[in-house]
Amino acid sequence: MATTTATLTLASTDLLSDSLSLSSTSTLYDAGTTTGLTQYDSGRVKIPGDNNIYVLLDSTAAAVDKGNRVYVANKNTDENHYVIISIDEAVLGRLYGGDWMFIPWSQADATANLEIKAPSEVNEIEYVIFHEGKTFTGA
Amino acid sequence: MATTTATITLTSSDIADNSISISNTATLTKAGSTTGLDQTSGLRKRTLASESTVKLIDLDHYQDQVLTENTAAKVYIKNTGTSTAQHVAVGIRQGTGSALEEIGWLYGGDWMFFPYSAVWTSAAHANNQDIDVTPSNTESVTLEYMVIYE
Repeated sequence: MATTTATLTLASTDLLSDSLSLSSTSTLYDAGTTTGLTQYDSGRVKIPGDNNIYVLLDSTAAAVDKGNRVYVANKNTDENHYVIISIDEAVLGRLYGGDWMFIPWSQADATANLEIKAPSEVNEIEYVIFHEGKTFTGA
Repeated sequence: MATTTATITLTSSDIADNSISISNTATLTKAGSTTGLDQTSGLRKRTLASESTVKLIDLDHYQDQVLTENTAAKVYIKNTGTSTAQHVAVGIRQGTGSALEEIGWLYGGDWMFFPYSAVWTSAAHANNQDIDVTPSNTESVTLEYMVIYE
């Protein structure tokens, strides 16, 4: 097994009257176990700014209800550029240039794809999915 | 304006032949702006002890406010437990009949951080993007969460 950790640090000295300093680390396990995830896929892609919804990550039968975790970062630097992240057309939110997200992704069914849409500008996106396995498409 | 940063570090020395080390810091700004997000729910805590679905973030009763929708809000949720036998399913409501779309499962120690469009449509919750959580069993589980918004 592998040991992979994800650490979040949220910090601000002026969002509240006292400083905010939050740190959280999780070890990425297979669902319901203490066995570390052993597989991952990653990439960097340019999402066309044509306002179409594209599948960034395809839900597969082998990954349903597993311990999948997804990291997505918008590498554009213009604060006006953004992509809309959704799962099966249910919108989560807008990932602006410089933003990132990290979520568990249970791939509840075959249509629970992780989708992305760039309304007007090309956005460069980096992603990593840590997972227990996936269903391969036959040649 | 406030300056809030969110940093993620993903590391593994043995998931592949070479180590993985990803680090990324986002400065949380308002939509289409370099001005920092300046409002927050603060860090909140909620303990659940049933398998019932509960509205963790209820847009119709959100601190007597309507969040500015379709901007750059962020949500943090953590399962503070240690159990690998119990998870909390996190989902987002919207669409016909306020259907719940499952995002993923948080086991003990897991956290998530994601952008949130926070669309409010009606007091009847129809199409509101409420965040719902559903524990997988009746054991007590405590979630910490925070919304940072404009």
